[in-house]
Amino acid sequence: MISILTRAVMMSTPLLLGSIAEVFAERTGMMVTAIEGIFLMGAWGGFIGTFISGSIVVGLLTAVLMGFLMALLYAFITVYLRQQQIVVGTAMNILAGGICAYFQRVLFGIPTTPLQISVLEKIPIPILSDIPVLGEIFFEQNILTYIAYLVIPVSYIILFKTSLGLAIRSVGENPEAADVSGINVNRIRFSTVLVAGAFGGLAGSFYTVGYLGMFTTGIIGGRGWIAFAICFLGNWNPKGAVFGTLVFGLAEAISIYLQSTGGIAIMPNEFVIALPYILTIALTIAKRSFNVPAKLGVPYLKES
Amino acid sequence: MGKREIPSSVKRGYLDALLFNIGAIIIGLLISAMMILFLKQSPITVFSTALGRIFSDKYTLGEVLVKATPLVFTSLAFAFTYKANLFNIGAQGQFYAGCISAVSISLALGGKVPTALLIVIVLVASFLSGALVGALIGIAKAKFGANEFLVSMMSTYVVQAVMDFLLRTVLRETKAEYIQTDPIVREAFLPGIVPGTRIHLGTLIAILSAIAIWVLLYKTSLGFRIRAVGRNSDASEHSGINSKLIFVVAFLISGGLAGMAGLTEINGVQHMLLQNFNSSIGSFGIGIAILANGHPIGIIFSSILFGFLNVIGTTMGRIPGLNIPASIIDLIQGIVMTSVIISYFIRESVGRRREKRMLKSGEVEA
Repeated sequence: MISILTRAVMMSTPLLLGSIAEVFAERTGMMVTAIEGIFLMGAWGGFIGTFISGSIVVGLLTAVLMGFLMALLYAFITVYLRQQQIVVGTAMNILAGGICAYFQRVLFGIPTTPLQISVLEKIPIPILSDIPVLGEIFFEQNILTYIAYLVIPVSYIILFKTSLGLAIRSVGENPEAADVSGINVNRIRFSTVLVAGAFGGLAGSFYTVGYLGMFTTGIIGGRGWIAFAICFLGNWNPKGAVFGTLVFGLAEAISIYLQSTGGIAIMPNEFVIALPYILTIALTIAKRSFNVPAKLGVPYLKES
Repeated sequence: MGKREIPSSVKRGYLDALLFNIGAIIIGLLISAMMILFLKQSPITVFSTALGRIFSDKYTLGEVLVKATPLVFTSLAFAFTYKANLFNIGAQGQFYAGCISAVSISLALGGKVPTALLIVIVLVASFLSGALVGALIGIAKAKFGANEFLVSMMSTYVVQAVMDFLLRTVLRETKAEYIQTDPIVREAFLPGIVPGTRIHLGTLIAILSAIAIWVLLYKTSLGFRIRAVGRNSDASEHSGINSKLIFVVAFLISGGLAGMAGLTEINGVQHMLLQNFNSSIGSFGIGIAILANGHPIGIIFSSILFGFLNVIGTTMGRIPGLNIPASIIDLIQGIVMTSVIISYFIRESVGRRREKRMLKSGEVEA
């Protein structure tokens, strides 16, 4: 039981980083529909960075850079060229898949054995990890999970207690008013998406550097979209995102547990795999009062 | 989710669209060609060899239409709801639902009923299975106000899980070696229509469907209502259109269209169902619909373009000694799509500037 919960916290990590990044972007009115591609670029960046340099730190930085670059292209086209966000996101996701698959071959050819990297080690935090039960669940994780712990309060404070957060929220709610009060709407949107992309890249790297130690083009398999969904389901609030990620992390941990212990006898494996997606549908249908940022998805064109 | 209408006169709009699209596609292809340099190969040699192979070989040229066929359906699926300002991102799942019906019926009835009757049954069944998945999403939207973008996206993963479950259990091949079905009998195949190629009746069905959807959208009152809801759901509600019903109907037809690709791919091409079957036609459908600005007739041509890109990529991968990975297909398609999207911006700016100029000259005359 404890090991399932430990794993749940672990599998929540990328979803948390990704969904909080999405919360910030969407608060400015920008859906980052390229999130699946950003996750994939992050996973790939983490892998090639680590594999080529032999250093996980370089790998993580490469992941951040890849997420950033993907977001740069996405943000440029959606913010400054004012193109439809869902449409651009679809193109970016296809492009990301192409870049990873193609350049993986350019770099490594067809390897005879699967390429492996060593994964991030678990770092038990002194004293805290000695707490019974909770210590093992929360404080024997890898560095990415600890970064995620820090991101929760910091993101909440930035969004709701600082003038930057106020600017971010007003740009999504009433860009005209924000503009009049001297905020550069498009610059806020653009830079928020870039930061979201960097965190999305870090989130994606979890799957290669923090968990599997190898790369395949199907490695993300819709998890970027789940982070996207968590942002919706969590009411565009970091607190909601935390709750959402734990639910999905738990679903994923149970799924991994059942697959490894032959839980197929109890219920079909496929059902377990589909669980997070079914959960998303059920929650999307059940939830009514959304706290949708008023200008979500709408490009801002300054009247001239 | 804002939607743009192309300004200026319609005729000039079409011509602009055509010119800009072709320009953007050429630029996209040029950038893709540069990517071949990373493999230390000459883009010119690779492209000319591939093009030479495609155009000198009837079979390979025919593959362009074979690959384009299912894309017509998945992009019609996206375009149809897009006209009602709804987002159906779940065409992949609706296609899988169609595949499940197509393969089950073909396995059960193949050889037992006349081919023509079987094809009609599979056609109807694959439409209905996709339509069922689509309608459920439409109901979630209409009745519960659920976000159709999220629900449709997640529905693909659920349908895929159902398909994998069936493939592993009741639909599993008799040898039980791979996770796939037995091949369907020859009597259940969609007949070929061009000798020497794999082009089959499904290609014709796809083109006819696109024309039918064009008629439905632009020449019938249902189509008018769908587009009215797309332009302004509140205003059309006031004028007596039941927009909730339109949500369900639009999703039902959209899902059905994606489901029909199950007929063309199972009975026309693969003749069996396997895991991860045609796993990217859903997302490419979205790209194609965008390329055609959601216009059903335009979709036929942009599907052929994507079919062509697909065949170019595969052909490059098969040129001996050059070692071009087939994954270059995704790269080319991604780059071309991005290039086309950027061209939309340029087209809009040009159109806006032209309008301004016309307004100004009008003022001077007045």
